[in-house]
Amino acid sequence: MSKENKQGKIHPLSLLAQEAYQAFADMGFEIALGPELESEWYNFDVLNVAKDHPARDMQDTFWIKGKPGSVLRTHCTSVSAREIEKAGREGRIPSAFISLGKIFRNEATDATHEMQFFHIDGCMIGSIEDGISLANLKGVLTKFFQKMLGENTDIEFRPSFFPFTEPSIEVFAKFQGKWLEMGGSGVIHPGVLRSCGLDPKKVQGFAFGLGFDRIAMVKWGIPDVRLFYQGDLRLNQFN
Amino acid sequence: MLISYNWLKWYIPDVPSAEKLADIITYHVAEVESVTPLLVEEGAGGGDFIFDIKILPNRAHDLLSHQGIARELASLLNISYIDPTPKYKIPESKPTKLVKTIESPNCRRYMGRVVRNIKIGPSPEWVVKHLESIGQRSINNIVDATNLTMFNCGQPAHVFDLKKVKDLKLKVRNAKAGEKITLLGGGEKIMNETMMVIADDFGNSLDIAGIKGGQYAELNKDTTDIILECANFDPTSVRKTAQALNIFTDARKRFENDLSPTMAEYGMRELSALIAEMCPEAIFEDVVDIYPKKQEERELSFSTEKISKILGLVVSAKEIEDIFKRYNIEYNLEVLPPLGGKTSKFTITVPAMRLDLVMEEDMAEEIGRILGYDRVKPIMPKIDFKPKVNETYAKIAFARNKLLDEGYSEVMTYVFQDKGEVEVMQSASDKKFLRTNLTDGLKESLKLNKLNALLLDFNEIKIFEIGTVFKKNGEEMHVVYNEKEKIIETSLDDFLSKNSSSEEHGYFSAEKFLVLAPTRSQVSSKENSYSEKFQMWSLYPFIARDIAVWVPASVESSKVQKIIKENAGELLIKGPDLFDEFKKDSQISYAFRLVFQSYNRTLTDTEINEIMAKISNKIKGNEAWQVR
Repeated sequence: MSKENKQGKIHPLSLLAQEAYQAFADMGFEIALGPELESEWYNFDVLNVAKDHPARDMQDTFWIKGKPGSVLRTHCTSVSAREIEKAGREGRIPSAFISLGKIFRNEATDATHEMQFFHIDGCMIGSIEDGISLANLKGVLTKFFQKMLGENTDIEFRPSFFPFTEPSIEVFAKFQGKWLEMGGSGVIHPGVLRSCGLDPKKVQGFAFGLGFDRIAMVKWGIPDVRLFYQGDLRLNQFN
Repeated sequence: MLISYNWLKWYIPDVPSAEKLADIITYHVAEVESVTPLLVEEGAGGGDFIFDIKILPNRAHDLLSHQGIARELASLLNISYIDPTPKYKIPESKPTKLVKTIESPNCRRYMGRVVRNIKIGPSPEWVVKHLESIGQRSINNIVDATNLTMFNCGQPAHVFDLKKVKDLKLKVRNAKAGEKITLLGGGEKIMNETMMVIADDFGNSLDIAGIKGGQYAELNKDTTDIILECANFDPTSVRKTAQALNIFTDARKRFENDLSPTMAEYGMRELSALIAEMCPEAIFEDVVDIYPKKQEERELSFSTEKISKILGLVVSAKEIEDIFKRYNIEYNLEVLPPLGGKTSKFTITVPAMRLDLVMEEDMAEEIGRILGYDRVKPIMPKIDFKPKVNETYAKIAFARNKLLDEGYSEVMTYVFQDKGEVEVMQSASDKKFLRTNLTDGLKESLKLNKLNALLLDFNEIKIFEIGTVFKKNGEEMHVVYNEKEKIIETSLDDFLSKNSSSEEHGYFSAEKFLVLAPTRSQVSSKENSYSEKFQMWSLYPFIARDIAVWVPASVESSKVQKIIKENAGELLIKGPDLFDEFKKDSQISYAFRLVFQSYNRTLTDTEINEIMAKISNKIKGNEAWQVR
């Protein structure tokens, strides 16, 4: 019985991206996009990841041949930095930005590792009086994970280190009784604010970066991250 | 870093159980990646628990050692820390003729000591046990003493054979361009002027400073006199050299993360005490300590108000005082304004090893993690943001919805290809180029999905991808889709101008744009999808079969379908799908397609034939039903 294809099926990551953007838009975040081929400046330097510091080893980076100072972005925090800088220039403080995009890490692939995957990175900045704090970060991320994984989802903070945040926090979400590592976050490091042209005495805010494929895998029980990039339509099970 | 629980107990005998400790470290200090019990039957190190703790760069100054972890835990848990120093028995030392000079500004401290009359031999059992418990191999008593020192107090240490150091003169200097060194364990490295070596006065380099020792002054079984070294080097210099020479050692890891030069004293004392214990006949000479610029004592001020504001949690001065008492941190507390003020200002003397504590924000982290971040409760910010619409995202969303509406399904394919215009320098894969088009990926996807067409719910495979391509002059957002076999790829902007009506097109320049973008003004009506579950497909080949049945025209297809389904068994993964029907006289023919597949094996024709025969028999059992 021949029938025309009706509605096509969306890729699960795009479906979840719509839900994620919606969740953040509801909290006042503005969508931001940035380049995948990024400068060393926005990917590292502006984020306080100094050259010749061991913190650079925390992310396996793809450097571009014949183009010194050019990398495939290792996170979308680079987009956050660009937006913070722009917001400062345009006097748009307080602001909040959310960026969901493809990122790249030079590591061997397996069921939980890919060279290309998605990150969802966000930031919120305001005046010192706005006092955007770690508690606000917890509020925003709790709401987000409840939208993603269910209304009763809890999150917790564990100590960590990232050059661009101080304090630095590892975010865990509880799903089906287990604490799962979701990504990094913290209060934006004063050095980052200064590099973005802002005065840390006047501005305070938080930033976070979460593995997006991982959220999808946890949410739907998708067993292997590589399934997302094989162009196999059997993946498109949700609409 | 591997940490032995029993080793920690030396210093903190009141430490909680291994299981509890893992949680305490995770929630207050650093991530515990694993805790492995070592069974008594497994020999050396048995009855212990080995913690693999992920020490990140901010705490690599003070926590890459058993003493470091023990000190932190003693303060965190307010339990006693046993200082090992009084137990060390180092004989009174004799005057020395050792001369050390520092010619490179990248050497911040150099401590050396001659020890004579030692005997190289196996280590005592407890030393072997400690080293093996954290995955280190015992080599000989003196080398083991240097390793034990490093894993115990964090200070890398090294020993030279004194016979090889002519005139007892050692210096730290920059290498010469092309200078060669053969490393301990073999392998030659060629250095340049940016690198630093420990050398004698006769052109022999003994050691790549802070990274790895050379073969020239290696100990051998007949060595009797040695020179101990505990030094401190500039972290950037060590890192650059080690990267250039591609050498990874435990010493490099510590130095490149920056150690306090004060640590060298502890290292020297500990190394000397260990050697004194292993070689009771040893004669110790005075320590030579070249320390051109002493590490300055630093003060750090912060207010309780600032800490509370960063954490979003009211922290009292009393809580902070309690922390400083436990951590033996000297502090001064002022209340501002002086009479009945609300803010407390602390000024602390930063412990020498805590190179990570520099600004107020660092203290917020320190206080936050010690108190525990569970104290920070979620609070939604009450700020009225004024978000703008992101034009690029709105365009992508528009293109995606347009294609979905036209029956296209979305795929994502790989960015890395084996040819292209932009190449990455190093890759864990052999595909080092970035895609210049989406067409190649879509072709592959089309091929794959056509093979699986019978498993899919589409009559025609229609797919698209929206993604970035990388050309010499930069990246560009593209859209690609197929029309039958033909692949059509355009830039996102061209796609929009071709595929949107003039009215729709207006959105992309006007404020109406809001309608297309997800913002607060456009709350999705769709329920959240968190109750759905993914169904993994089988990786084995499938077998498809068709069956056509003549039945009286009054029989509905669903009745036939039901009987087929009931008799098809568990291997049926798709169907029976009605794909054809036609009437002839009083009869009607229905044709169904069935797809069989197993999740754990390749099916054989024979077994599917049996299933089909069973279905046919069932159908024939109905009066006036006939399989064609």
